[in-house]
Amino acid sequence: MIAPEPLTPHALARRSLVKKGMVGGALLFVGGALPIALRATRLGPEPRGPLKLLSRSEHAVFSAIAARVVPGPAADPTWPSAEALDCAGKVDALLARAHPSIGREFKQLLTLFENGLVGLLIQLAPTPFTRLSPTDQDTRLEHWRDSRIVIFRTGYQAVVRLAHATYFSSPEVYPLMGYPGPPEVPAFPLR
Amino acid sequence: MTPGTIKRGQDISGNLTLDCDFCVVGSGAGGSVAAATLAAAGARVVILEEGGHHTRREFNMQEAWAYPTLYQDHGNRATEDLAIMILQGRTVGGGTTVNWTSSFRTPDRTLRLWADKFGVTGLDPATLAPHFEAVEHRLNIHPGSRDDVNRNNQKLWDGADKLGWRPELIHRNVKGCARLGYCGMGCPLDAKQSALVTYVPDAVAAGADLYANCRVTTIKRKGHRVESVSGEFLDEDLDRPSGRGITVHPSRGLVLAAGAINTPALLLRAGVGDDSGLVGKRTFLHPAVPMVGLFAEPVEGFYGAPQSVSCHHFADRGTNVGYFLEASPTHPMLASIAFPGFGDSHRHLAERLSFAQATIALMVDGQHDDPGGRVRCGADGRIRLAYPLGDGLREAARDAIKNMARLLLAAGATEVISLHAKPIHIRTDAEIGDLDRAQFGPNLHTLFSAHQMGGCPMGDDPKRSVVTSRGRHHQIENLWIVDGSIFPTAVGVNPQLSIYAHARLFAQAIARGG
Ligand SMILES: Cc1cc2nc3c(=O)[nH]c(=O)nc-3n(C[C@H](O)[C@H](O)[C@H](O)COP(=O)(O)OP(=O)(O)OC[C@H]3O[C@@H](n4cnc5c(N)ncnc54)[C@H](O)[C@@H]3O)c2cc1C
Ligand code: SF4
Repeated sequence: MIAPEPLTPHALARRSLVKKGMVGGALLFVGGALPIALRATRLGPEPRGPLKLLSRSEHAVFSAIAARVVPGPAADPTWPSAEALDCAGKVDALLARAHPSIGREFKQLLTLFENGLVGLLIQLAPTPFTRLSPTDQDTRLEHWRDSRIVIFRTGYQAVVRLAHATYFSSPEVYPLMGYPGPPEVPAFPLR
Repeated sequence: MTPGTIKRGQDISGNLTLDCDFCVVGSGAGGSVAAATLAAAGARVVILEEGGHHTRREFNMQEAWAYPTLYQDHGNRATEDLAIMILQGRTVGGGTTVNWTSSFRTPDRTLRLWADKFGVTGLDPATLAPHFEAVEHRLNIHPGSRDDVNRNNQKLWDGADKLGWRPELIHRNVKGCARLGYCGMGCPLDAKQSALVTYVPDAVAAGADLYANCRVTTIKRKGHRVESVSGEFLDEDLDRPSGRGITVHPSRGLVLAAGAINTPALLLRAGVGDDSGLVGKRTFLHPAVPMVGLFAEPVEGFYGAPQSVSCHHFADRGTNVGYFLEASPTHPMLASIAFPGFGDSHRHLAERLSFAQATIALMVDGQHDDPGGRVRCGADGRIRLAYPLGDGLREAARDAIKNMARLLLAAGATEVISLHAKPIHIRTDAEIGDLDRAQFGPNLHTLFSAHQMGGCPMGDDPKRSVVTSRGRHHQIENLWIVDGSIFPTAVGVNPQLSIYAHARLFAQAIARGG
């Protein structure tokens, strides 16, 4: 009747990687063991208010990622920057309410993104993410996205979705997407 | 009959201990109708709901408010590898408060499959018919009208119709709908006849007390019976335990309706009721693959009834996994997290949002050899769902994107885009073959789920099911499950009406003594 998934080597590899969770397993080990790599982080703009979950460096790493991930004024001045919409601050507030272990994993993910050794592994470039040129940052993001290792693709999805979610749910970008915003609500009740 | 009350976490100042006949966990489709049925039969009912009590005055049609406030994991629920985004409600009314109002009876062929292959007995169309009718009446479910069809759905209709794929108008549970298009963020007019405005008030009017912001964490079992159930009140701003708790002693029984994923997770966390070893396994999602069609004229898929047209032409593909086609609304956040790429390439699609049509293929998982997903939950309460995308689903996904491309081109799209990390662009029928090179696998393309099912399957064999064909736990005599987790496979249509009807039937049996 219901056959189990065949135990091919491919399926096994997929299972064991997938089982490590969002940003778990070996990568966490690497990231966790090397927090020192964050010392080189370029801090960038100050957070708007006190941070609830992220450290100052983690906030800077996410800000740098978000700056590349959303449309942004560099390519087209009509689009606001991630910084102008405070994407990093919104993500900090959102994840501060998440299950504590999700918050922890996200912090570790940002450490990995910034980590020079991971950069070396994935892109043959040991430079921390925040210190790469914008073009090289895009290339690093593409390496995460297109990696054959599921966990890197998972990490990419985590940061990109959060950046996009906070950016595109901001009314400031509605007109740029041709979205006039919510309509007037007719008087209640309608029936 | 003295009506009950709805209390929020912030209204509770100390620890509570309550006695009642039945404790119902969860106030969505299954929990609301079960609570209303039991309370109407004269039972003293306490409902515990993890989400907040939010009503139409707060429904501001802004995604930035709605998803963090009304959805599981603040809108960020996903499989543990993030390959499938999971939209699931977490508020009074559960998923029905935020769902898209599509209402279908359980297909006869699905009921037959459950009977033939999964040992489900006594759940045939004739037995369920009065329950479908009663729910359809209460929720004002009625045949769709052409006036409901916005341009997003019209494109689906046009393409399917041209290809001879027999599109249908969807029945909807609405009364006085202004076709605003914001069902997914809570209906600001209470036009959607969700549990929030129907069975939850019915239950309270019949004497049930509902505690919102109350997360159930513990179930105490003694022998073959549940003795008590406990939960923690949450501070809604922080979404952390407030330090106050509740313990309920339900003399007649515990009715779980925390939804698929959460009901199995609760049993696993509490370490109760997994005698079969099946709890959490065979979780199904109707994984949905989207395709985007770009049109020369505005589509504005963010306005109008979100779903009014469906196409079931590919629902039964014999030995292959079937799928059905519907439209998805295209509000900026929902669309942008589904769109592939980042930076400039992403902007290219984002700025054409109002010209974009989104068709989705919902794959009917579990009716073939695909094993579905597996829920795990430890003592810390973190819920994880692993969901491998097997070969059967990959084949269905590839077939679906090709047929969606055909459909969108037939409807007049100038370009069709697959939502792959490296999207495939199709402009003519001759290019559809390019989709054969599309890769499917974790995070190679967009997948999402708005329909969670399974994980505590029903059936008569205690070795192959968790509850009986009337929802009673095989080993714990005063424990019932009445939500989407009881389905042995995906339903094959949008599941809310199936859940309401099964829960109503089960609750009547429970009220009569099981
Ligand atoms: C965006 C969206 C669109 C959808 N569109 C449609 C549609 O058009 N048609 C359709 O048929 N279906 C649709 N669905 C699906 C449908 O709404 C669900 O299948 C249905 O609501 C599930 O019912 P349920 O009783 O199983 O669980 P739910 O309705 O999800 O209710 C479960 C409740 O239990 C609560 N809970 C969970 N854990 C705990 C705990 N530990 N303690 C206390 N409470 C807990 C949750 O907060 C939730 O409120 C949609 C869903 C979504 C999210
Ligand atoms: S489309 Fe209708 S039911 Fe949905 S939110 Fe608008 S008025 Fe409410």
